[in-house]
Amino acid sequence: MSHETAIRTRALIRHNAVLLLRDPGALISRMILPLAFLVLLHPLYEAAQGRSGGTTQAVIATLVTFSLLALSIVGGSILTDRMGHTWDRVRATAARPAEALAGKALPILAALLAQQVLIIAFGVLVLGLRVTALPLLGLALLAWTLTLLGLGAMIGVLARSLSELSAAYDIGAMILSSLGGALVPLTAMPHWVRLIAPASPGYWAVTALQAALHGNGGRTLLACAVLAGFAAAAGLVAMSRVSRGGGRSARL
Amino acid sequence: MLEARGLVKRYGARAALDGFDLDVRAGEITGLIGHNGAGKTTFMEVVTGLVRPDRGQVRVGGIDARRRPRAARRLLGIAPQELALYLTATVRDNLRLFGALAGLCGGPLRRAVDEIAEELMLTDVLGQRAGLLSGGQRRRTQAATAMVGGAPLLLLDEPTAGADPQTRAALLAAVRARAAAGAAVLYTTHYLPELADLDATLAVARDGRIIARGSQDGLTRGLPGELRLRFDGDASAGCLPPDLAARARLDGGEVRLASISPPADLAAALAAGCAPAWVDVRRPDLDDLYRSLSRSEVLHVA
Repeated sequence: MSHETAIRTRALIRHNAVLLLRDPGALISRMILPLAFLVLLHPLYEAAQGRSGGTTQAVIATLVTFSLLALSIVGGSILTDRMGHTWDRVRATAARPAEALAGKALPILAALLAQQVLIIAFGVLVLGLRVTALPLLGLALLAWTLTLLGLGAMIGVLARSLSELSAAYDIGAMILSSLGGALVPLTAMPHWVRLIAPASPGYWAVTALQAALHGNGGRTLLACAVLAGFAAAAGLVAMSRVSRGGGRSARL
Repeated sequence: MLEARGLVKRYGARAALDGFDLDVRAGEITGLIGHNGAGKTTFMEVVTGLVRPDRGQVRVGGIDARRRPRAARRLLGIAPQELALYLTATVRDNLRLFGALAGLCGGPLRRAVDEIAEELMLTDVLGQRAGLLSGGQRRRTQAATAMVGGAPLLLLDEPTAGADPQTRAALLAAVRARAAAGAAVLYTTHYLPELADLDATLAVARDGRIIARGSQDGLTRGLPGELRLRFDGDASAGCLPPDLAARARLDGGEVRLASISPPADLAAALAAGCAPAWVDVRRPDLDDLYRSLSRSEVLHVA
């Protein structure tokens, strides 16, 4: 990395962190809502799946569903820049598309990880969730967060309005988390849902988190690799669109 | 510093640029004027690499901007037509970001931010969110983000649109200072007196190409100015010789003549026995040039 690249990337990360903290409403709601959801629905999951299985399912359901909803923070951040013409301003500088996207992504990566760590910590401290392999869990969370960033960036450069973005995230998050078996275990879903579930990143997030919580290294790594594939594919779409001028403000 | 040759950019059947040629030298302020849709903003977008031309070449500081866009952008400071500021960030945050994106950091970045803020009268609002600024302050902040990195080529697209006189004066002074320090400035505006204030050379765009280029004197030479005459009592335009009377119109108590050579026409009027009580001669100015864009097919090129 050249000296100038380092200066630019650092400046973009710092600047986007400032923007995130100056307007923290979405961030705060994505931190508090999952905990409320967890408290309310935990007894239901426990009644259906027993104490240990119910707690694990409740925590994973909450984590995957609400982290998918938190995609809107990534995409909203990009779309707000596009609508305010600041995206073009940055693109008219020497910053590479990768630097601009990294500047956007890294503060949000920290925020998304913080959200997930908060949910896990709440599960452990309040609900008695058992974590047998912390490094595996960390890996699963990182892989899932990178997938969210890729998906968020892709939708952020494709969407043409905040309502379009909102619809994509809200409907998409519910479908992906349902298809993935986060809200309701796949064993309780119709056969056709089980067949198409592996096409959903949510499925692999649930798989990675469950395997990590049970200390199954092989299955965690496999699921993380698939998530990395989703992240790379979505990130490449976003980068390619930005490089070709597809995310321009004037094209909203 | 900026050389554009034969740029063509089409959007479907419409040519936004259609053989656009323009040079801007270091230390020169070039006023790019033309009606809406003439290609001014598209040209700026091509220079910044936001829009890829279908044909033609752009070189910034000798660098081919199509082949090495990021190297070319390193030499650019741009203030686009639309306000493009981070409204939830402070003025200082906005300036710091664009200074850093131009390669500044640490002490030099802090100094550059403080200096441009002082020059554009933003020191008192450095800690304020851009969204809370007045319209004029936002305009100055936007121009400051273009200038903070010390770019050798400034592209300022209607930087004073909607600005108050104080903002306009501060911006023009800053632009003059940058040019005096050696920067090339491409400046688009619809406020033509600004270009006279900046002593800018002119490039006139129409239908996606430059149709006239040169000094203001050179370009306005040959355009009609105006001769205005007022008469006392019952005296009127009836004294004018026929060729002048054909060009005269009454405006209140005043006779106005469009005139290529007002002194010669005045002499002809006096020789014909006219005795005006008051005379005013107005030389053609940039407004006349601008208005002539819609009337004439070909303009004088100095």
